[in-house]
Amino acid sequence: MTDLQYALRQLAKSPGFTAVAVLTLALGIGANSAVFGLINGLLVKPLPYQDSSRLVLLWEQFPSQGLERIPVSVPEYLDYEKQAHSFERIAAFVSASFNLKTADLPERVQGAVVSPSVFPLLGIEPIKGRTFAQEEFGEGRDDVVVISERLWKRRFNSDPALIGNKLYLNGRSYTVIGIMPARFEFPLPLFNIQGMQFTERADIWKPIAFTKGELESRGSRSYGVIARLRADASVSSAQAEVSTITADWKRQHPKNYGDFSSFGAKIYPLQQQVAGGMRDGLFILLGAVALVLLVACANLATMLLARASARERELAIRVAVGASPSRLLRQMLTESVTLALIGGTVGVLLAVWGLDVLKHLGARTIPRLNEVTLDWTVLFVTASVAIGSGILFGLIPALSSARPELTEVLKEGGRGSTSGARSNRVRNGLVIAEIALALVLLIGAGLLMTSFMRLQAVNPGFDSHNVLTMELALPQLKYPPPANDDYVGGIATINFFAEARRRIANLPGVGHAAFVSALPLSGSNNDYSFVIEGRNSSQEKVSPDEEIRVITPDYFRVLQTPLLKGRFFSDSDTVDSSKVIIINRAFARKYWPNEDALGKRISFSDQNPQWTTVVGIVGDIKHRALDLDAKPEFYVPHTQLPSRFMVLAVRSSQDPRTLTHAIRRELLSIDPDQPVANVRTLEQVISDSIGPRRMSVLLLGVFAGVALLLASVGIYGVMSYLVVQRTHEIGVRMALGAQARDVLALVIGHALKLVGIGTGIGLLLALISTRALSVLLYGIDAFDLATFVLVTVVLATIALLASYLPALRASRADPMIALGNNG
Amino acid sequence: MIKLKNLERSYPLAKEKFFFVLRDINLEVEEGDFVSIMGPSGAGKSTLLHVLGMHDHGWRGEYFLGGTGVHHLKPKERATLRNEQIGFVFQQYHLLDDLTVYENLDIPLSYRHYKKSERAAMVADMLDRFQMVGKKDLYPSQLSGGQQQLVGVARAIIAEPKLLLADEPTGNLHSSQGEEIMELFRKLNDEGMTIVQVTHSEKNASYGKRVIQLRDGWIVKGE
Repeated sequence: MTDLQYALRQLAKSPGFTAVAVLTLALGIGANSAVFGLINGLLVKPLPYQDSSRLVLLWEQFPSQGLERIPVSVPEYLDYEKQAHSFERIAAFVSASFNLKTADLPERVQGAVVSPSVFPLLGIEPIKGRTFAQEEFGEGRDDVVVISERLWKRRFNSDPALIGNKLYLNGRSYTVIGIMPARFEFPLPLFNIQGMQFTERADIWKPIAFTKGELESRGSRSYGVIARLRADASVSSAQAEVSTITADWKRQHPKNYGDFSSFGAKIYPLQQQVAGGMRDGLFILLGAVALVLLVACANLATMLLARASARERELAIRVAVGASPSRLLRQMLTESVTLALIGGTVGVLLAVWGLDVLKHLGARTIPRLNEVTLDWTVLFVTASVAIGSGILFGLIPALSSARPELTEVLKEGGRGSTSGARSNRVRNGLVIAEIALALVLLIGAGLLMTSFMRLQAVNPGFDSHNVLTMELALPQLKYPPPANDDYVGGIATINFFAEARRRIANLPGVGHAAFVSALPLSGSNNDYSFVIEGRNSSQEKVSPDEEIRVITPDYFRVLQTPLLKGRFFSDSDTVDSSKVIIINRAFARKYWPNEDALGKRISFSDQNPQWTTVVGIVGDIKHRALDLDAKPEFYVPHTQLPSRFMVLAVRSSQDPRTLTHAIRRELLSIDPDQPVANVRTLEQVISDSIGPRRMSVLLLGVFAGVALLLASVGIYGVMSYLVVQRTHEIGVRMALGAQARDVLALVIGHALKLVGIGTGIGLLLALISTRALSVLLYGIDAFDLATFVLVTVVLATIALLASYLPALRASRADPMIALGNNG
Repeated sequence: MIKLKNLERSYPLAKEKFFFVLRDINLEVEEGDFVSIMGPSGAGKSTLLHVLGMHDHGWRGEYFLGGTGVHHLKPKERATLRNEQIGFVFQQYHLLDDLTVYENLDIPLSYRHYKKSERAAMVADMLDRFQMVGKKDLYPSQLSGGQQQLVGVARAIIAEPKLLLADEPTGNLHSSQGEEIMELFRKLNDEGMTIVQVTHSEKNASYGKRVIQLRDGWIVKGE
């Protein structure tokens, strides 16, 4: 009979023990498997492009203005294309949305406008048709699109005849020339890119057609740049090359770069940009699950120690009939590793389920989360972790059993208990370790939860309750720009939003309705540079550049952001009236720290200044993130800068989601081709903005809970074993007059000692390790005394409660039975 | 076969004092002998047997087995020697409860690294010899005490030891089963196996060729 067969028979013989052990291991190994799956999927696994390690992004920066990772302008892109030889291929891209009109309701579909070279650069072939030819690049030749397999299935029922047929996008007809596979995703959602994070997946790609305006404007930056490094180039050599190119620009175009000595471009590996922001959180989670696994192993080791002493006779017989210590060790380890592999298998199932839950919770806010699967790499690591755990928790009991005391055990009537002082010391040590490790995890989770609660309690500068939001993007063809400016809409745009605002505001249940170009905490952003009246711009080294929002009059009433001074915009601020802006408190403090900002004037152009007057000052709004201070912002009335892309915000006295249908109807009655997208409450917008953080808190909380449960089970098991072991002693004590409370005190006193030492060590470890959490904490110190004390008290109480049951059982023992039991 | 010189076994008491279980044991057992160790409870009989069986290593003195000085050997070497030379029969049979009769017989061979085919042949031979073929798939709990002890003896001799040690082999059996076991011992001894048994029974001792009496750790007769 093989050791494996015997191990399986042993496990089947004790279903209770096996079930508890498998569950314990499944929790420990499953947690590791899930977190490793996350790390593998988000950080390790190559991006879904050919040879993705050679893909880089190029962003520009104005460090002196606090601007990093900003897009590039068209003339700059064309210079990079021509002059940068470190790149095998280079492509420009920008996110775009398309209003898709079919027989059904109009729909806004997310997409991208890309250089034709982007597909060969990424190395992904279409599943049908072709991608763009070089000649399909430029105005008038760009009436072709490639769509995703997802859109092809969803809207066109996988119709093979779609290739070569027309689609109506933004009021214009385009020929579908290719279908990209479902796994193809570009641009990927990126972390830390101003105005570009958390974009939806693109389903339509259109070739770039640079406009005349774009080709002439070196300062208007809106394109991302992706490139493939040549085989003989590295990130640093490419960096050196683009730095040379940008340095040349400063000489060749002093008008554009003269003021910006710190201007430059930086190369970032694509992989790092996609999920780099998750790195710290994921590695903290990996540490947490390693602790959970250690607690589980300590638990298993105590269980196996108890089991080993029950199997002492069997092991002694095996030695007597010829088993060597190494052979016994092998058998014991076979049993523990078998147990661990079964636990690992159940753990993988738990991890699959856990990852499904995580994807459900975090798919909107965590890049590449949908790609996370338990692939062969993860399964191999899980199997290694399981085998390693089996050896880890099996080794101590196996070593303690490999040399049984033969004479005592095998003699006539010999009970042969080797569970003497040494065994008890090991068992106590394991419980102390469990308590210490669980405390480290619980303190970490406590700090993160407190931090998260404080973050949620942060005043963002507006009231998010009962506000519904949705996005609208008016197509340029139908809502044309004025003759001299491609970037904004014309009178048709102004009229559409004014009419929409009027109709929606009159709907029953609507308090106020307004539009804004970039909703706070939504991830989108815009900034603009300007000059201040009376300050000689040529004397200033750097033109100020701050964040801009285009709004309609009731915006601050919808958000309930307080007016500190002056007035809100009104319908009398028109395209023809004098130009006005509202600024926030941070803006006023930065530029007019010791004077009244109201009435001050700025201009967006220093060549022919058109002065714009500050007519109001409002409270600060946290736009980028709840944990970042509000930045200076200024607000422009939509009538004076008519953006075609706006977000509707509606304050309601009831559940705002009930207004969705009525609002859609009103918008369609103005323009039956105009879709809305991304319908969310403002609370959901805030919630999405802290999604990754919420996931870390949730996971760490769950892992800490598991550790607490395992530690409690561990201390319960050890105390129960101790009571059984001391039954005779307890019987003698009771026969000699000990009361129930004395027995209770005896057992709980022992538990108290273990808990005391465990929490002491745990506190020390926590003091050392919580520093690593600092990057994830907001509004709380990594050594927050209240959290340390509270968590310690909770853990100690639960651990003592776990020892109370065995203690109670011991105190109720009948001395005669107790004595007889050992008699 | 066995030679003990000045062998002592003691357990420490408080303050450098010792409790002696075996004192100054000098004993020779020839090959093919059948020795019965007798004496009152606590005389040290079982301890002596476990020392001979190399289950106990805490003794002092000299112990030669087949000319090898056991006292010079390291634990691992002792284990190897034990596996080559000694079989042990226990009063309480000490079969492995979770293994069938077949598996209980197989296990000493597996620990001695016999090939699977060889083991199968040896176990089959032993089952046949002890007329237990029909019981090979039963577990110990499904056998009578006598049958269990038969398996115990079969297990002890399956690896063909030269020396069989038996600690009260019939202690838990009724008389007819006990006689069956003792007859078996006699037969094994007739075939050349050296046997040392511990017994309280004069009748069982009579199956042997020599009796050694122990009292308070001393050999008082039969040295």
